[in-house]
Amino acid sequence: MVKNTLISINSLRKLGSLIALLSVLAGCSASTSIQLDTNFPQVLAQPRPISAAIVFEESFSNYSAAPNQYTSMAIGNAQVELFKNAFTGLFDPVEFVGAAQEIQGQPSLIIRPSVREVQLSTPSENYLNVFEVWVKYNLEIRTADGEVLTTWFMPTYGKTPESSMASKSAAIEKATITAIRDAGAKLHLDFYQIPALKNWLAQHPEQHKQVADKAPGGVN
Amino acid sequence: MKIVFQLANPLIMPLCLLVLLAGCGATTTIDQYRPSEQPMVIAEGERIVLLGRRDAADYETDLAYIDCVSKIVQAAGIDVLDEQAFIDAIYPWFEPRTAPKGLVHLRQLLQQPQIRQQIDRQALRYLVWLDGSTESQDTSGSISCAVGPGVGGCFGFAKWDKLSTYEAVIWDLHSLQEQGRLRVDSEGSSYLIGAVAPIPLLTPVKSDACNGMGNQLSSFFSTP
Repeated sequence: MVKNTLISINSLRKLGSLIALLSVLAGCSASTSIQLDTNFPQVLAQPRPISAAIVFEESFSNYSAAPNQYTSMAIGNAQVELFKNAFTGLFDPVEFVGAAQEIQGQPSLIIRPSVREVQLSTPSENYLNVFEVWVKYNLEIRTADGEVLTTWFMPTYGKTPESSMASKSAAIEKATITAIRDAGAKLHLDFYQIPALKNWLAQHPEQHKQVADKAPGGVN
Repeated sequence: MKIVFQLANPLIMPLCLLVLLAGCGATTTIDQYRPSEQPMVIAEGERIVLLGRRDAADYETDLAYIDCVSKIVQAAGIDVLDEQAFIDAIYPWFEPRTAPKGLVHLRQLLQQPQIRQQIDRQALRYLVWLDGSTESQDTSGSISCAVGPGVGGCFGFAKWDKLSTYEAVIWDLHSLQEQGRLRVDSEGSSYLIGAVAPIPLLTPVKSDACNGMGNQLSSFFSTP
């Protein structure tokens, strides 16, 4: 009985040591994984009276980036929320669907965003005291009859200082949030300035009731 | 001779410490420009917001500095709106890509009724841009630490200089004019002495720059 008790105490000690060692090794690991489920603010803009459907395919809404072998960034939920807010400030009415087949109304434009690439730069790589994240989006813009007007390349950028962050993952997360927020800013500055879209709106005045050469914010 | 040594001996250590600590003081210079000597009046219920510039390639005006200046200004009885709350309320027009760099851009922005209404809803009277950073400059000396069975310690001496440079620009959201500029430069040296235990003698360069900025900024405004 005494022997059994001693064995179990020794086993517990070994297990404790193993857990401590694993914890230390886990702390030494260079891998970083972030899961963004951030809430983004509503945009302050007057939408144009143009109907649109935004298609968030599963590859976009569940997107997880691996900018290098040590880092993974699950940004799908966050970018869907941001794009919903941003497009609500650009179009009225606007419909959000998971696939083109699910579109209910008769939208003038169908937009399918996708992620082309995510890049990450750390202070050890850029020799600056900042973490930088680039998220490069493609926006495929189609008309109601399926004609592709353009595939617009939209790079967004975010950075955050190393010194203000408690950890590498917190700094990367903050830089990624800044980059995704930048998508909203970029959309509201430049969306209605896309040449193919601007020309199409000018040629199809029936699709909208406002002048095509003025962005919603009016600051360009 | 022996008497002199006995008198001086108790003074040596405090004297050395004083000399070292004297070297740890930061030198802070404040320059200001105001088009008028009249204080900027903040009426009952009006607020100001302090925003950090974040469009430079190699640095960001850090949140801790803005928070520090905000606390000093608030302590002077001025109502300060939280930076992030303002940026979110007016999204996406004060993101790094879209924030107005000058008054011409600000005037264009405020021509949009929804943006003007949001500014009025927040009861914002003045917008203060803070731009700058704290950089480590010359580093000299070396210190090494070693640990053995039962013993350990650090030996050596290291010194580094820090420079904080921050500028504030104040915009009046009623007249849409610039009401003043303020620049704070603070510099000082910090030391690390390895005498078995490492003894840091740190100069609060950034803290001095914050105090200088916060106090001078507070003196610009008058509240009821």
